[in-house]
Amino acid sequence: MYRNLKFALNSAWQSFWRNLAVSLAAVLSITLILILGGVNLLVGHAFSQVLDGFREKVSVISINVADDTPLQSVYSLQDQLKVDPRVAGVRFITKEQALDAFRHDPNNAVLAAQLDGNPLDAKIEVRVRNLSDVASIDTLARQWSGVDPTNPTNYQGDFVNRMLQLSQWLGYAGAGLLVILVIVSVVIVMNTIRTAVYHRRKEIEVMKLVGATEWFVRGPFVIEGVMTGLIAASIALLLLVIAYPPAVQQFKNDIAFIPLSYDPAFLSSLARDLLLGGALMGAVGSYIGVRRYVRI
Amino acid sequence: MVLTPDFDSRPVISFQHVWKTYPTGTEALRDINLVVPEGDFLFLVGPSGAGKSTLVRLLIREEKPTKGKIFVDGVEIGRMKRRKLPYYRRKIGLVFQDFKLLPNLTVYENVAFAMRVLGEPDRLVQARAAEALDTVGLAGKELTYPSNLSGGEQQRVAIARALVHAPRMIIADEPTGNLDPATAWEIMQLFLRINARGATVVMATHNREIVDLLRRRVVAIDAGQIARDDRSGRYHDDVSKSQVRAQ
Ligand SMILES: Nc1ncnc2c1ncn2[C@@H]1O[C@H](COP(=O)(O)OP(=O)(O)OP(=O)(O)O)[C@@H](O)[C@H]1O
Ligand SMILES: [Mg+2]
Repeated sequence: MYRNLKFALNSAWQSFWRNLAVSLAAVLSITLILILGGVNLLVGHAFSQVLDGFREKVSVISINVADDTPLQSVYSLQDQLKVDPRVAGVRFITKEQALDAFRHDPNNAVLAAQLDGNPLDAKIEVRVRNLSDVASIDTLARQWSGVDPTNPTNYQGDFVNRMLQLSQWLGYAGAGLLVILVIVSVVIVMNTIRTAVYHRRKEIEVMKLVGATEWFVRGPFVIEGVMTGLIAASIALLLLVIAYPPAVQQFKNDIAFIPLSYDPAFLSSLARDLLLGGALMGAVGSYIGVRRYVRI
Repeated sequence: MVLTPDFDSRPVISFQHVWKTYPTGTEALRDINLVVPEGDFLFLVGPSGAGKSTLVRLLIREEKPTKGKIFVDGVEIGRMKRRKLPYYRRKIGLVFQDFKLLPNLTVYENVAFAMRVLGEPDRLVQARAAEALDTVGLAGKELTYPSNLSGGEQQRVAIARALVHAPRMIIADEPTGNLDPATAWEIMQLFLRINARGATVVMATHNREIVDLLRRRVVAIDAGQIARDDRSGRYHDDVSKSQVRAQ
């Protein structure tokens, strides 16, 4: 087993160098593809960072309580919500607390000074577990007898739905792009392997005649494919790691209101994805290649 | 005269009503029946295009028979699973007219290659390769590359490679086709020695002198059929020979 592995590694390495032009072309193409894939992942990650912040905000819905609602009714709604599986948490904010909070917000300084009495409603803040359940909680709240009929909740259904839809479409587009990139890489590796097989056809014929097993003949080519993928992934990773921080900085300068930040933790997951992806695409491409072109 | 198989030794090879039609429609072999006992030395002769190489390709299972059965060592090789094929080929030593040596490997590496692809340990590979090279008289040429060898020497390397995993059967397709008569004779001596050690030898050849001199078993193929099977035959049968003499 070890001897066979040594033979396969040796022979893959030789083949890689013997067809250097083809090997390099493949490495380069796959590097470009992986960079595209990596940028795709980075943008996806940045967007989901932004979206997470947004989700955090919109997953809290506040129900405005009409001034004449008895406390008993508030408590019973609160209890009902607390046991609702869709709800993560409920908090009651009295009129006074609401006013206090309003006053302490520096943005409201001017307005607060002009306030006469307490025009603010008491609120029930509901943290919803799942963003898609916010709408149904909103409906439930609007049917409650104690809700302020002029301004029932702070729910902005259309906006939330649109954001959710946008993020979904972006997700689909990203996934679609990744699928295309993967297919292109697999085809590139397949063709590299075909060239390598062509260059080694005499050797393959002799191996066949002396009774080498099919996988003994195929192994080196699969390893060559994995090698191509890994080398490409390493180069792509290096370039992305170098380019990521300045790109984030540039983005921040240009579009300040989107809370995008440099996330070093993401780099390790990017490294894992790229290396694993490169190796896997190399393996799949060469596997299909040898199945087609190396027959005993 | 048709040979009655020697039933004292069991048949290694047996063709039973074997037909081979290529996808192009060429009927290369028609109803071949042939029994080769263990230790036999058999010449396959016949004009170009008669079907000799086709018979060899069926025997090493590079092709499958269209009809009929081929048994080797009691196993029907036409039905053999692809997975088993490498193990079958390891029992056979193959020698071709064009040597099929790898030009980027030395003489030693070419011979060792046949064992290395079987995943054998280095020590065994070294010992067996040295032994095989010794058998074919190439000890001392281990580090030479094939391009620096004569045709006869290259064929010796190929024979050493065929011998290295000690096969019980040697199949050769025109092994002397590219060699001058003296060299061809030397190579043939080698095959005789291998046969004398007990290996069965099947050889397709156009070398009339050698066949006529050795008087071994001769199977003549003509237009895909066995025309003649003589226990100690000549390249041409006696009738046509006498016709040649009469002219
Ligand atoms: N792969 C193939 N596809 C189609 N036809 C083939 C193939 N190989 C051989 N043939 C045909 O089969 C017939 C027998 O060919 P084969 O090579 O067996 O002859 P041979 O006796 O070995 O001839 P030679 O003495 O010239 O080597 C010929 O008519 C040849 O054209
Ligand atoms: Mg032939």
